[in-house]
Amino acid sequence: MRTTVPIVVAFIAGLLSVVGFFFRTDTFLGSVRQEFLVWLTIVGGFTLLLGVVSIVRVNWTAVVRKKPGWQYKILTLVAVFAMALPSVLPSSKSPLLGRAEGSIYDWLFNYLQSPMMMTMFATLAFYIASAAYRAFRARSPEATLLLITAILIMLWRVPMGEAFLDLLPGHIAQLLNTYVMNGVNMAVQRGIIIGAALGAASMSLRIMLGIERTYLGKS
Amino acid sequence: MDIWQRIEKLDRRWIYLAVGVTVVLPFLFPSPLPISITPEARSLYDAVEALPDGSNVMLVYDYYPAAIAECEPIAIAALHHLFRKNCKVITLSNIPYGGPSMAERVTRLMGNKYGKVYGVDYVNLGYKYGYVAVLSGMGQSIESIFPTDNSGTPLAQLPLMDSVKNYSNIAFVFEIADNATADYWVSIVNAQYGVPMGCGGTAVMAPKFYAYVASGQFVGLLGGMRGAAEYEILVGKEADAVRGMQAQSLVHMLIIAMVVLGNIGFFFSRRRLKRGTA
Repeated sequence: MRTTVPIVVAFIAGLLSVVGFFFRTDTFLGSVRQEFLVWLTIVGGFTLLLGVVSIVRVNWTAVVRKKPGWQYKILTLVAVFAMALPSVLPSSKSPLLGRAEGSIYDWLFNYLQSPMMMTMFATLAFYIASAAYRAFRARSPEATLLLITAILIMLWRVPMGEAFLDLLPGHIAQLLNTYVMNGVNMAVQRGIIIGAALGAASMSLRIMLGIERTYLGKS
Repeated sequence: MDIWQRIEKLDRRWIYLAVGVTVVLPFLFPSPLPISITPEARSLYDAVEALPDGSNVMLVYDYYPAAIAECEPIAIAALHHLFRKNCKVITLSNIPYGGPSMAERVTRLMGNKYGKVYGVDYVNLGYKYGYVAVLSGMGQSIESIFPTDNSGTPLAQLPLMDSVKNYSNIAFVFEIADNATADYWVSIVNAQYGVPMGCGGTAVMAPKFYAYVASGQFVGLLGGMRGAAEYEILVGKEADAVRGMQAQSLVHMLIIAMVVLGNIGFFFSRRRLKRGTA
């Protein structure tokens, strides 16, 4: 029962969504599909709530049991509530509530969260430089080809490099755009996109037919 | 340890220092270099320019705060272009992690500069979970997916939304993304509803998007800070991206120099090793 009902629900929901795609919204099947899409956004909202409950439970347990690094988990909990609570309370009560400009949420987002995320991302430049220096070696013909292509593209994408390429004969910058980015790169990307789409379609079919059951917590 | 082995085993802290210096220097001593316009950026600009004045345009903030350095200049340049043409701008985000806040902040800032009124000239729909459902659902009814805007005002109270019911009322979608949500805009909004689209993305995502430019599903493409700089030049509002390209130029050159140096060290070390063992 615990397996059959979810599989039946997944099959019916999937089938109606697929079939409804081919009907206008003023038809029964089309309107059912449109209704399903609205339901999906609502159910999805609850999954976000589930995420909050989960992060609170896991971190609270770690704090209570004084697991290694429990002090940091207090910070996590404080951050969750400091961001979430003022943002969900109505701004009609106070301009500090809600998500509008000047609210607590807005301030925390703009002056704490954003700079922290940007800083984390910016440190990548240092690691990439170090990793490129140590690992980007011409160990084989394939690696050499990749190395030369990467260097040329890196040159092409910045004004200083482009000015350097322009000194060389043969319109290298245009050739890179035409043959590397719009040629080899595009062909590979198309292959990946089509492959991923076929994979997603087959996975959806497996879920609808009950072959794929990992979403039920079963293999 | 000979010189080549020393080069190969250079302490990473020197590399970090060199990167830090090359990022900071151009901001202290700016020396602008000409930036050429790629065909992809030009065609995106031309497509927006060709829109009738006052058209409804969706500007999508599908990027995380981490990508602000690359994506925000694109958003600002796009808003310069759109507001200058008196386009009505509808913003939204499929990123729960700050997307609606960034849309709110940047669009309001630019709206104020151009004297635009919220609700009349631009609207921020905010975020709703499940981008496939959101993008599909808006094809029939935007209001069914977003009953209110980002701050909770019902769409029925916003004059702009009187004339915007679904994609048939949208003349153009300007997607700014640092992730794969752009794929869904292409496969759902462009492919199924035929809405013309252009995209600005982070440099790491741009190679993937070339496939959509070639297929005509994106009318044009802005790749990373370079793409943002190109659009700033095209709209005649050179700002952060153009300035940032100087730092990026130097860092690219530094990384290339390091890769070349590392390979020279590797080559000579390997040769010495072969001779020693031969």
